[in-house]
Amino acid sequence: MSKEKSFLEKALDALASLKLTLFVFFTLAAASIIGTLLPQGTSTAEMQGQFSPTIISIIDQLGLNNLYHTSWFMVLLLLLCLNLLVCTLDRLPKTIKLLKRQEETFDSRKLSKFSYSASFTTGLSAEEARGLLHGAVADSFGPLHELKSEGAYCAVNEKGRWSRLMVYGVHASVLLVLLGALAGSRLGFEGFMNLPEGATSGEVIMTGGHSFIDLPFKVRCDKFEVSLYDTGAPKEYRSDLTIVEDGREVLKQSILVNDPLTYKGVTFYQASYGATLKDAEIELKERDSGKTITMTLPYQENRTIPGTDEQIRIAEYQENLMRFGPALGLVLGKVGQDANSGSYILVDHPEFHGNRVQNYQVRVLKTTKSHYTGLQVRRDPGVWLVYLGFILMLVGIGLTFYSSHNKIWACIEPGTSGTGALVSIAGRSSRNTPGFAESFEELSRRLTDQLKPEKMKEVQKKK
Amino acid sequence: MTSSLLLSITTFVYLFCTVLYLSGLLFHYGRLLTAGTLAGLAALVIQMAGVILRWVESYQLGYGHAPLSNLYESLVFASWAIMLIYLIFEWRTKQRTIGVFPAFFAFLAMAYASFSTGIDSKIQPLVPALKSNWLIAHVITCFLGYAAFAVSFGLSILYLMRKASPDNPKPKSGILSALPDARQLEMFNYQMILFGFLWLSVGIITGSVWANSAWGKYWSWDPKETWSLITWLIYAALLHARNMQGWKGQRVALLSMIGFGCVLFTYFGVNFLLSGLHSYAR
Ligand code: HEM
Repeated sequence: MSKEKSFLEKALDALASLKLTLFVFFTLAAASIIGTLLPQGTSTAEMQGQFSPTIISIIDQLGLNNLYHTSWFMVLLLLLCLNLLVCTLDRLPKTIKLLKRQEETFDSRKLSKFSYSASFTTGLSAEEARGLLHGAVADSFGPLHELKSEGAYCAVNEKGRWSRLMVYGVHASVLLVLLGALAGSRLGFEGFMNLPEGATSGEVIMTGGHSFIDLPFKVRCDKFEVSLYDTGAPKEYRSDLTIVEDGREVLKQSILVNDPLTYKGVTFYQASYGATLKDAEIELKERDSGKTITMTLPYQENRTIPGTDEQIRIAEYQENLMRFGPALGLVLGKVGQDANSGSYILVDHPEFHGNRVQNYQVRVLKTTKSHYTGLQVRRDPGVWLVYLGFILMLVGIGLTFYSSHNKIWACIEPGTSGTGALVSIAGRSSRNTPGFAESFEELSRRLTDQLKPEKMKEVQKKK
Repeated sequence: MTSSLLLSITTFVYLFCTVLYLSGLLFHYGRLLTAGTLAGLAALVIQMAGVILRWVESYQLGYGHAPLSNLYESLVFASWAIMLIYLIFEWRTKQRTIGVFPAFFAFLAMAYASFSTGIDSKIQPLVPALKSNWLIAHVITCFLGYAAFAVSFGLSILYLMRKASPDNPKPKSGILSALPDARQLEMFNYQMILFGFLWLSVGIITGSVWANSAWGKYWSWDPKETWSLITWLIYAALLHARNMQGWKGQRVALLSMIGFGCVLFTYFGVNFLLSGLHSYAR
């Protein structure tokens, strides 16, 4: 039993140790360096030829090409959290005890052990010296409070005990940020949608994956605009969006690159834009009869071919199909039924023999383009935790820097010869700031000046 | 009077300031050090006038943005921040002997900004991604952090020299004897690093909040972001290592120098070698 306990204790000690902290910090840093040198998100297949097979297999095994999402990276973060928690549990009770302790007695012999200390002999009487000392310390640091002490008069001034709690705030903030990040990645989503002008959709394609989700409402892009500087460089991208819910327009708003729209926890960001097809004018020539029909097809909408029971639709638009330039993906079928055949029609090569669907030879007479806006769509229910962590972290580090726990002790012992006194001061600062050192020196100088040993002689002469 | 004239003058005043600090240290002559401080102060004021004028000029050109938008402008701000932080430090600690490095770094930043052929000093319009008030908060805070780390880098070099000198702890002669003792240097260095850590944290957080409001992600592992995190981790490690046996002193000084190497890589390396959201700074 006792053996097991000591093992547990050892494990806890290790988990609370600063060594582990350093290990985790350096490992995280090293991993992050690899992550920036190796392009993330490229598959190992794409890396073939760039690296030797052994290196590629290492990359593959450790997941170095998607490093920040690997399980070992998560384990490192988890280790950091554990380290913090155990360390806090270990130290917080001691700190609180320290904060609560009321110092009541003091041994004047301890004085010389502090990092700042000074002593002065004076001819003044202990009472006179006490008055001077109180005044001087009060001016530099604050009022002195008397302590019980044997054979001497001792007093203390203390400030900023609470500053010892600040690092706990910083540490808690790290946990909050990581917790918020976890919540966001588990409960939120991230994707994008490309909305042509005039189109309405509620379908978001997930980043990376080939899946999509349906929002409980729809978004319409009323207008997309790019404005340029005189130099031709882009100045502003702007989309006018409308949120449509249950067939009603519930919100109209324009978004810019730094100015997104949020509705029901889902935020839409202006991320990219592009051109897409608006409609195309095509000529259909019936191969049997030689009859030609001309019609205008809006992109992705079914139209009935006049005088027939067939409908036709541009299902897809390709900017550059196999280096033959733009192409329309046409599909054809009976009205009211699914399309049963389809084919790519090359826009710039009307003579191409493959420009046909079923019984029709097709020529594209004209295409009209329109813009689409690229929206990044996100829901992150963890972000407020992260922000809370941010605030706590800044307040914590700021106060860690700007505050410190300072203590000044002062003692007066009666002089050995029966007259005069020995005055000693000592100081300690949790954060050895130049300010503290300076104040202490100033105090020493003032005391040297006011408690001069010469005063002793003057006093004696007067007698 | 144009901003570029003022900024050219600044470059030379920084050089002069470096020479003054260095000769003050070499010849143990306090007045030269005082002159160094005055030159540093003058450079700071001229540079600030130059930066403000550049801001006004950008409005006259019809762009109207704070001069913090490209590599040139950020270098100018970096050199200004280094001198500002150093002078505040000097005033707080009454130590003039450590001004050589900060003055030299401020000069280097200005000289690189002005004379490198790869850096365009023209006032350019802002690309849409940078049009945000967060830009100012983000750049200023990051660079305050970087500047503090630059000063700390100089302090670390002096500390290591001091430690390595044969008659440590109290050298009797030479440049080193004019310096504060090693214990004091360590303390100054620590204060400077904690200060830098504070501002780097503010910088990363403002960048993160900005990214969230602009792109909907507060963290996307973009190379620049990641490198600033690496820098942050190194300095966090340093702050903790200081509480560990055998680390305080030389190892911490070395870590601070490594940390500053990370700062430089975050600043230049990422722009020139890696690509990502921040590559506009090219
Ligand atoms: C990213 C994570 C962390 C951050 C940002 C952080 C930040 C800080 C800061 C700013 C300080 C004050 C530095 C100083 O006073 O010199 C500090 C002190 C400290 N930290 Fe951390 N810390 C982190 C993780 C940890 C972990 C995992 C441990 C676990 C052992 C730890 C243990 C300590 C200790 C023992 C101190 C000294 C407290 C004192 O002086 O009273 N920290 N930390």
